Amino acid sequence: MQLAINTADPRPIYVQIMDEVRRAIVLGTLRPEDPLPSVRQLASDLRVNPNTVAQAYRELERAGVAYVRRGQGTFVAAAGTNGTERRALAAGVAERALVEAHRNGVSAEELIDAIRDAARSRDPHTLAEQP
Amino acid sequence: MSPVLPTDLSTGSLAVRTQGLAKRFGRETALDGVNLQVPEGAVYVLVGPNGAGKSTTFKVLMDLVRTDEGTAEVFGLDPRVRGPEVRAQIGYVPERHDWGYGWMRVGRLLQHHATFYPTWDAEYAARLAEVFGLKMDRKFGSLSKGQGRRVHLTMALAHRPRLLVLDEPTDGLDPVMLDETLGLLMDHITETPTTVVISTHQVHDVDRLADHVGVMRDGKLMMQVPRDELHRKLRRYRAEVPDGWAGPAALNGAVLRKGSFGREIQWSIWGEEREVVQQLTSAGATVRDAAPLTLADAAIALLSRRERA
Repeated sequence: MQLAINTADPRPIYVQIMDEVRRAIVLGTLRPEDPLPSVRQLASDLRVNPNTVAQAYRELERAGVAYVRRGQGTFVAAAGTNGTERRALAAGVAERALVEAHRNGVSAEELIDAIRDAARSRDPHTLAEQP
Repeated sequence: MSPVLPTDLSTGSLAVRTQGLAKRFGRETALDGVNLQVPEGAVYVLVGPNGAGKSTTFKVLMDLVRTDEGTAEVFGLDPRVRGPEVRAQIGYVPERHDWGYGWMRVGRLLQHHATFYPTWDAEYAARLAEVFGLKMDRKFGSLSKGQGRRVHLTMALAHRPRLLVLDEPTDGLDPVMLDETLGLLMDHITETPTTVVISTHQVHDVDRLADHVGVMRDGKLMMQVPRDELHRKLRRYRAEVPDGWAGPAALNGAVLRKGSFGREIQWSIWGEEREVVQQLTSAGATVRDAAPLTLADAAIALLSRRERA
């Protein structure tokens, strides 16, 4: 599993790791009972502090997205794959869009209208611009 | 009012604690009341410009420099009294690698170094040497900066010390080697419980590693704080303000850096976001954005802050 982490992103790194795991679950590239990489592996791959990875895993566990099997590692929980994660992920995207809109002096209503317009002009599946 | 930048990390057990370190070299003040506190298990990044006193502080821990005033403790031991015991527990990468042994071949230097450390892990040393691409038959003195750094990193890591003191460890490494080195370092601290202190002026290199941050300037430790707290409390606020706006008096001193574009201000401010926004708003500003800073930007905001009388 390849996660994308960006230090210029305003989200703390442990939150970025959590969001990447959630994203993989929503996309179906991670399924219930799939193992997450070990803390050591992920820390090494991402070049991040292992404490940060452990923190992300603890929070995922607390949120019911993942669970720990003693001596075996961390696994994706079945509960993580119902609609809740989808909604949590959508809420996160919406939150970031709202902040960005506010920074640009755009109101929530204007943003929602603009998203509808933009969605209409794009292919519903690939979101590619239509000719 | 001056914002009280946090400098106390002494809530848990500390691997390193210095109190009031002061050192003058002739007329130059190198250290001026430094209270360094490195929690056990932390990856503590010490940031500051050249000449801030980072290297001198590290040398005090190694008992390579003796201060005029103040005390130091490494795992509770005073380096001045228990130097050999302290150094046995530290893996040290010095800022400069021309401290002697230039005539020795790299392989021989590693063997020589190993004899001082009962905990030397020869297998691990060989693995590090391979990843770092060390050329064993080259003379140490003929190595480039980056090659020398890799030899020092091998010597520092291979005895699996409780404390790593890395003075500009990424200096002179090319981007690929930098990436490899950071990976090795992360492997190392997951395998071996280690406290790490890293000094750097290339803050970006170590942004992902740091869980504690110290900022040093002119021999003073201006701030030391957990990374989370820095992320939460130092933010860049963007707000629309009326003409001739001076800002709320309550924030005086908490504003570390000011910028503006038209009638939009862009200020880096230390404080709880909710309180800062409230103060800006009640002073007539419309806050558009409160974004955390990258470690590099935070360092710039803290270091470029002008001293106030």
